[in-house]
Amino acid sequence: MNFKKFIKTVFMTEILQAMALTFKAFISKPVTRQYPEEPREAKPGFRGLHALARDASTGHERCIACGLCGAICPARCIHIYSAEAQDGRKYAERYEIDVLRCIYCALCVEACPVKAISLTEHYECSDYSRDALYMTKEKLLDNWDKYMAGDKGKEYFKKFYHPTKADYSTYEGQAVFKGKPAGGK
Amino acid sequence: MTGLFESVFSPGSVDIMLNIGIIVLKIAILVGIVLLHVAYAPWFERKTIGHMQVRMGPMRVGYHGLLQPIADGLKLFFKEDIIPAQADKPIFYLSPVISVFTAMAALAVLPFFKGFVIANINIGILFILAMSSLGSYGIVMSGWSSNSKYAFLGGLRSSAQVISYEIAMGLSLVGVIIMAGSLNLTDIVEAQGKWPHQWFFLPQIIGFFVFFIAAVAETNRTPFDLAEAESELVAGYFTEYSGIRFALFFLAEYMGMILMAALGSICFLGGWHGPFDVPYLPFFWLWVKIMISLFVYYWIRATVPRYRYDQLMSLGWKVMIPLALANVVLTATIKILR
Repeated sequence: MNFKKFIKTVFMTEILQAMALTFKAFISKPVTRQYPEEPREAKPGFRGLHALARDASTGHERCIACGLCGAICPARCIHIYSAEAQDGRKYAERYEIDVLRCIYCALCVEACPVKAISLTEHYECSDYSRDALYMTKEKLLDNWDKYMAGDKGKEYFKKFYHPTKADYSTYEGQAVFKGKPAGGK
Repeated sequence: MTGLFESVFSPGSVDIMLNIGIIVLKIAILVGIVLLHVAYAPWFERKTIGHMQVRMGPMRVGYHGLLQPIADGLKLFFKEDIIPAQADKPIFYLSPVISVFTAMAALAVLPFFKGFVIANINIGILFILAMSSLGSYGIVMSGWSSNSKYAFLGGLRSSAQVISYEIAMGLSLVGVIIMAGSLNLTDIVEAQGKWPHQWFFLPQIIGFFVFFIAAVAETNRTPFDLAEAESELVAGYFTEYSGIRFALFFLAEYMGMILMAALGSICFLGGWHGPFDVPYLPFFWLWVKIMISLFVYYWIRATVPRYRYDQLMSLGWKVMIPLALANVVLTATIKILR
């Protein structure tokens, strides 16, 4: 044991350094988020609870019951029963999503040809019964009114349905790599 | 019958009874205050360690979790008391009581401020050492009587550890005893002055170092918490305990910590002495010193990982005891030469 190491051992410099570190952490601000009081804002494009888009001009759903969303759904949680309306138009008589089986991949949003289904930024979907989380057409349309009303829905389909080059630009608060730049020291 | 009546109510015995009444009152006050501190020590610990891990600790029960100890106490009180079928029942019942009894009995000789000590006996330090040694009986007996391998291992480890560090702790206090010339804790405090440079931790720096480490080991705290190493032994010696008996062990552990913090403050940090007197709060400085000592306990727990068992033993026997012995020889030599 050389002299330097001996001094280090006797005065426990390494333990003291470690204690300085924990004390620094002690006086720093905690990172805890007190969840129900301080909910986390979902970023735009967050894949949360589903909503069926309501057409602004008619007030009816945009869905044409083509069944593409149900066909592409990897979890097979979308159930569509189509019917013919009085004017010969095809519409979804029943449109149901089993939210508990959904994996929030948003493939249904991409598959839809008429921008009819969307994933909202609402993520607090816990309940005491399974029935409450089995979404019928009415509930899905309600979700649209609750979470996607106004410009929000328009913006959503503009940016995340079929995004253009402009939508790939960075935005405020986007997660970025803040490490050392490549090659530099 | 009349003879008994007269002997009980004769003028001399009234004095005795008054004295007993005052002592009982003192004990009630002391135990009440200490129990309050023991209840809030885990809250203080959880808050400290939480903030050291950049968390917040308890926040839900009351303002910043201030009612958490009450909630925990109620929970432990009303929990079912499960006793293993294979347990050695009388010893199983007895061991938590021994743990708490020894921790509480040691409080009797601590002087909290000038004139306030329940039993001003002239072997105060010896009494505390004896009680903390007896406390390990509670641990060993609970480990044995639980009839569980984890509890048994915890009890064995604890007995070996406490015996090893008891020696170092006793020897580290010998320096203080030599300097003060007394085993009485009040005399030891009186031998130290008002200002920090008059306290014994400076001339007895080796003794203080050994005492501090031995105190951490003695109370089975991290980094020497092998007796209750939760990652290896579930909870160590009190694995099989539940409900109020578990709470008694918990109580004894935190009371032991407060006791060791108080003993360290009295022997090395000047007891109730402080740079200035705080009106109406004669115990203020001792309280501050105990709280700082407890904070350092928690600070160490948040920082240092657990020792390996052989490292613990070799530290105790090869470093701490020789250091403490050297300190005794050094102090005694200087004392004689002066």
